[in-house]
Amino acid sequence: MRLNDLFEISLRQVLRQRRRNIGAVLAIALGTAGLIVIITMGHNVKEKINMDLELLGGATRIKAYFDFFHEKYSVPMPQWFREDTVNALRRLKGVMGVTAVFFCDGIDICANNNYQYIKTSIVGVDEYFWDVNSFSAAKGKFFGSTEVGERAKVCILGEDLAKTVFGDEDPVGRLLIIDGNFYRVLGVLGGIGLGDRVEKAFVPITTAEDRISRFRYPDQIYVRCNTWNDVEAVASSIPSVVGTHQPAEGLQVKVALEHLKRVKKIAWWVESFVYLAVAATLILGGFGIWNIMMANVRVRTREIGLKKAIGAEDRDILHQFLTEALCLSLGAAFLGIVLGRVAVESLALLLGSRPPEELFVFCVFLGIMFAVILGVGAGLVPSIRASRMEVVAAVRYE
Amino acid sequence: MSDNNALIRVSDLTRNYVSAGRDIPVLKKVNLDVLRKDMIAITGPSGCGKSTFLFILGLFLSPASGTYYFDGRDVLALERSEQAEFRRSQVGFVFQNADLLENSTVYENLEFPLIYAGVHRRRRPKMISEALELVNLGHRIRHPSNLLSGGEKQRVAVARALVNKPKVILADEPTGQLDQGNTQYIMDYFKGIVAEVGMTLIVVTHDPKVAVRCNRIYVLNDGVLKEG
Repeated sequence: MRLNDLFEISLRQVLRQRRRNIGAVLAIALGTAGLIVIITMGHNVKEKINMDLELLGGATRIKAYFDFFHEKYSVPMPQWFREDTVNALRRLKGVMGVTAVFFCDGIDICANNNYQYIKTSIVGVDEYFWDVNSFSAAKGKFFGSTEVGERAKVCILGEDLAKTVFGDEDPVGRLLIIDGNFYRVLGVLGGIGLGDRVEKAFVPITTAEDRISRFRYPDQIYVRCNTWNDVEAVASSIPSVVGTHQPAEGLQVKVALEHLKRVKKIAWWVESFVYLAVAATLILGGFGIWNIMMANVRVRTREIGLKKAIGAEDRDILHQFLTEALCLSLGAAFLGIVLGRVAVESLALLLGSRPPEELFVFCVFLGIMFAVILGVGAGLVPSIRASRMEVVAAVRYE
Repeated sequence: MSDNNALIRVSDLTRNYVSAGRDIPVLKKVNLDVLRKDMIAITGPSGCGKSTFLFILGLFLSPASGTYYFDGRDVLALERSEQAEFRRSQVGFVFQNADLLENSTVYENLEFPLIYAGVHRRRRPKMISEALELVNLGHRIRHPSNLLSGGEKQRVAVARALVNKPKVILADEPTGQLDQGNTQYIMDYFKGIVAEVGMTLIVVTHDPKVAVRCNRIYVLNDGVLKEG
């Protein structure tokens, strides 16, 4: 039989029996769409989950600091992170952001209208601090690169500190005296996992350098990784990167290993469950096709006998039934690709990040390959059974 | 009868059915010579093995013993794929109840033998039209086969058997499901085709009115074939 005849006959048969095929087609289409979405958007979704998993304690955040009391030195030896070092760390693969931080306790602050001083901690931070720590502004807004660059006298207050200083009044826009200088309150710190930061005031690190009397250069940094898979590699690279740019004695790198382990475990379970669901859907579709083809062989026994009687060879029957199974699974895969594309576009809009187009093309090939395997796998046994039928038994089948 | 120019020569053909572990003979050393352009009827009581004999002639069944030469060739020695080739090039088969392909048009029903014979797509419409014209159904070419009347279905089945221009048509009770009028039509078509196209016809029937329209009548009784 010619190839174009084979495809025309098989496609015609599949289309004429479309109602019977709809269940299996939908199962394979959904499986293919799921596969495309998982592979294409998996990375973007993982990044999004990473951000959300800050709930579990900053599993993708690494803390690095200098221990002043290093055994190498007989007296405490202050050490701090140089700008070059911080910039080099930002360029590391898998790093989303790095922020350098300076802490100073026991600083006097008060609202400009009551002169009731209280002692609190001041934190000098750069513009990356908020994103690296996944903080959000409960009120007002955070300061950014402009304020840091201009060494502006602005500050962000922890929620508890804002309440202590301003009571129930809205602190945003109010003036505050910190260590003898006036600062305008830009916002109030919000977010998850703030800890004792609710009692602190945050000022641009450049401003702190100019105006906080006990200023020291930043001896702490936080490194935020893109995904939890990057954490260990980044953490192990930090000492060598620091060492190439400055003295690294006393450098301590802390990773929330227990959190990381838990997050990975949760992610593994979720990922496995999703892959299992996709596999189950595809297998279900495969069984659907197998079932349809077996039923077809039974229902179309007389047709098979008749075709053999008018000259069809065993291989003609085999090819026709196999091609029908292939048409079914490929048709379903194409439907799945369309559904997958729609889902990927929607997710990309939702997450605000677009996956590389080559990844989608790869998934299309993968989907088609799966469809071919499913079609041949599910259609082979029924097709062989159909092709081996004896003419008389088939023609006389009731 | 014995003729060296016979299209079909069957000698000492036997066939048994196994029932309850016992061999029951259906055909007992059957001999038959069929000439070209011959029109033969094989009659006999129900269950006597008429259809079995026809199926052996169409190579749908194998005999237990005996020889079968078609156009001088020992066709019982053919491989499975050669048997299929024989069916699509040498014989056209008409079944008792038309047996058209469901959910197909008349055209598609006639196209299948041509597809299996590897006839090019461009040549098919003409061959199908010609075959349908022989049974006066040229106007039904795009008609769904399940919407045809019983007589029309059987005429389409005849046209399908003819479309490949086989040497012999094997018809198994072709009028079994038809009324008297349609039976007459079908037999008229068969006679016309044998005369016009020059094919050979072997009809299995239990209807004496059909049998008398043929040139020769054979009766199969108790596994033995005799000219009637």
